[in-house]
Amino acid sequence: MTAGNRLPVPYSIKRHGISLSNCDDEPVQTPGCIQAHGLLLALRPADLVVTQASENCERWTALPVDQVLGKTLSQLVGEAAAHSIQRVISTQALDGNPCYAVTARLPQPAGGTSTVDMDMTVHLADGVLLLEMEPSGRGPPVVGQDGDYFSMVRKTIGRLKSTQSLAEFCEVVAHEARSITGLDRSMVYYFHADDSGEVMADARREDLPSWRGLRYPAADIPRPAREIFKKIGVRPLPDAQGELCEMVPLLNPDTQRPLEMTHCALRGASVMYTEYLQNMGVAATLTMPILRDGALWGLIACHHYTPKALPYPLRSAAEFLAQITSLEIAQAELREHLQYRLHLDAVHLAVLARAAGDGELSVASQPAPGLLDGIRADGVAVCQSGLWLTAGLTPDEQQLVLLAVWLRERIDQAPDRLLTFSTDGLAAVYPPASAYAALASGVLATVLSRHADSTLILWFRGEQMQTFNWAGNPQEKPTAVGPQGPRLTPRRSFDLWQEQVRGRSPHWKKVEIEAAQKLRRMVMEQVVQRAERLAEANVQLASSNAELDAFAYVAGHDLKEPLRGINKYVHRLLEDAKAGRPQDADRLEWLLRLTVRMDTLIDALLHYSRVGRLSLDYTDTDLGPVLAEAVEMLGARLAESRAELRVPRPLPVASCDRVRVREVFSNLVSNAVKYNDKDQPWVEVGYILVQDASAARPRPDSTPDEARDDTLFYVRDNGIGIEDRHQDRVFAIFKRLHAQDAFGGGSGAGLTIARKMVEQHKGRIWFDSQSGLGTTFYFTLPGKHPAKGAAHAQRPG
Amino acid sequence: MRNDPVDAERRAVLVVEDSDDDFDTVVEAAGRAPVPIRLVRAANADIAQELLTLDGSSLFAFMLLDYNLPGLDGLTFLQQVRRNPLLAGMPAVIFTSSANPYERDAFYGAGANAYHVKQVQHSDCLRTVDAIFEYWLNRVALPGRPAPPSRQQRSP
Repeated sequence: MTAGNRLPVPYSIKRHGISLSNCDDEPVQTPGCIQAHGLLLALRPADLVVTQASENCERWTALPVDQVLGKTLSQLVGEAAAHSIQRVISTQALDGNPCYAVTARLPQPAGGTSTVDMDMTVHLADGVLLLEMEPSGRGPPVVGQDGDYFSMVRKTIGRLKSTQSLAEFCEVVAHEARSITGLDRSMVYYFHADDSGEVMADARREDLPSWRGLRYPAADIPRPAREIFKKIGVRPLPDAQGELCEMVPLLNPDTQRPLEMTHCALRGASVMYTEYLQNMGVAATLTMPILRDGALWGLIACHHYTPKALPYPLRSAAEFLAQITSLEIAQAELREHLQYRLHLDAVHLAVLARAAGDGELSVASQPAPGLLDGIRADGVAVCQSGLWLTAGLTPDEQQLVLLAVWLRERIDQAPDRLLTFSTDGLAAVYPPASAYAALASGVLATVLSRHADSTLILWFRGEQMQTFNWAGNPQEKPTAVGPQGPRLTPRRSFDLWQEQVRGRSPHWKKVEIEAAQKLRRMVMEQVVQRAERLAEANVQLASSNAELDAFAYVAGHDLKEPLRGINKYVHRLLEDAKAGRPQDADRLEWLLRLTVRMDTLIDALLHYSRVGRLSLDYTDTDLGPVLAEAVEMLGARLAESRAELRVPRPLPVASCDRVRVREVFSNLVSNAVKYNDKDQPWVEVGYILVQDASAARPRPDSTPDEARDDTLFYVRDNGIGIEDRHQDRVFAIFKRLHAQDAFGGGSGAGLTIARKMVEQHKGRIWFDSQSGLGTTFYFTLPGKHPAKGAAHAQRPG
Repeated sequence: MRNDPVDAERRAVLVVEDSDDDFDTVVEAAGRAPVPIRLVRAANADIAQELLTLDGSSLFAFMLLDYNLPGLDGLTFLQQVRRNPLLAGMPAVIFTSSANPYERDAFYGAGANAYHVKQVQHSDCLRTVDAIFEYWLNRVALPGRPAPPSRQQRSP
């Protein structure tokens, strides 16, 4: 006992009772008394001599208690029974573990034996051997034959394992408990996180009302009682109103301590408990703990409305059921959580899938799943980019904004990096919330990041206005004045009280908090992906802007060149005119030439800019006639150059835009002829079919290297060639490698346009050259239809 | 600050310019300068490189360089010139039609001494070239002649 304890030592419930102020300190393990229906002997393990006996022992031993003390075991129970007990003592681990030893009739001092069969169990506690005796045979064995646990266990486990939900599991446990014990009511009682209890299921006599869903305040089963239930397997109380019998003496002579009776089936019940039962009209109880991972999950509580013998075999069966339940409860909860978790995952994925489109997390159930369909909550609020979306019951926006500021700070200061916060009592940590406690006493919050404007997701639960069915109002403990002064008296009525626990919401489950964290991670991933796509688009935009910029400067540069010339000659003509000098025909001719050149440049520029924007008209085209047309278009220039056109074999059919490909050929052949200083110029146009039997159709997004059935065309000449150092510049617009008038001039846009057209066909163009010997231009065209969608995507506006 | 009289022979200007019209403008400006100016034209970077390699540093006061040349462009040519220790100090005045700020900065980054944009208005264009000649031939102290290990004197 702790210092300051006002209870007397040695203590006896029978003598001292319990007061209102110390019920959590009641020495329930050392009550000093037993129930009157059996007898308890304390023996010294060394010599098996009785050191303590219950005051009622005379009823069975026919000896007053002072004569029982000092007797040996065999003197009291007879040689045969003593032998059985000694065998158990020498073979079993008895510390805190009551073991059945024998059923026997006690020898009487007058000779012969008593007429009552006594079940005898022994165990060790605090170094003392405890021998409990209870009359047996007061009722037939409940489970078929004694010890036929196998069929019971198999049947019960099968039923428990087939349950789909925790509620169903509890229902099965309650029914099994009632069928084993035969008591009027059996309940599965669950301890919530705040130690308040809830009846999860009950099986009962037909005329009794169900207590399912009733909530009991934590004080109804005080802490010492809960502690004892972690240690014992079963707690029988066959007659709650039966008398209590004190141990004689109260202190053990060997240990000088009160007898440690935690594991005694006969242990005397707390007066508070028995009064409590009396108020319910309950006469007998049998209670078994349900343990989950060593913690007290709940109880199987059986009530009977008349005194009821609870013999050893029945208690063993009930204890066994509780042990099976304890083993299976974790699985049942796991199944329940798994189902809930799967449901939460499904809802959150659906919400994310919708958010992938517009980036907005939907909160309401309509038209499609929203956050309110996931984690059980009365309301949901999401803040994205400073905008609030709410569904269900939530505080108003002004309150949300202030709450968000507080939550962000709270989450930011949390030592963990989970960026999640939850509470069942918001007003207790954030007083402004008391204004809307009815709507939001519980809040579960998660933020995407520590940024002040990052997305915030809130789930709200109202005050426990879900009005649990409190069995009695825990705030009103009626007290009656008894012989010991003010004494705790359990509530007189078990009518339903509608109790609202101020400022508290139902507890957020681990699975719910984890689901919120998971949702946060998934949203985060989505945000990152979107940011990456945006960054990519930005890069593309920037590069196309840069291209456009460069293009504008190049175009400006080249167009201004003839303009400067024109300005100059007009300037001079003007000066000549002012000075009265004759007009110079040469200068006028220069002017004309410059305007024509300007025209050519502008045409080329317009042409180039349109090439990029027009969509292609794909048809399967025989390229032979296309080349012929291209050559014909060159006409005079080709004839002038006396160049020979060589076509080693007829060109194939390709899927392409006829007009574009004709221009590609025209540009390449024109270049080949133009940049040629040989006496016998020639141009060869041919193709190489790149085939790979194993390759399937080219994918629309495949590169030319991957598209194995592309056709590779070439245009070869024996011209002047291109020096390696100019490789990069060949395809640049308006870029000439030679002086303006050398090799017949030109706009400098021909190869630029050719490349653009080939690339539009998803092809590639490059060249191979030896300076002075000749050049070969290569380009690829798809052999089959490329994706039309891709080509048609670029329609002019 | 006037040029040393002994440097009078260095009054030649290397004009790297492919456009006949633009070169004509430069000729016109040189023709109206108070002191005669010798112009040596290179129609592309290769010719300019050849002229400079012969004896550029002693022959030319500075070079007037266009950007848009056939073949090697003006910027690449300038970078090439700056890598040659004998020519690294030679003033290079850029005279181009491009007003692209990226090109302008790239030229300065490559060691250009000045960057001028060719104006469309002929009289403005002439005045710009006048100013270039006036500044680089009369106002500036040019770098001294480097002394190459074996120098083959070339008669002007």
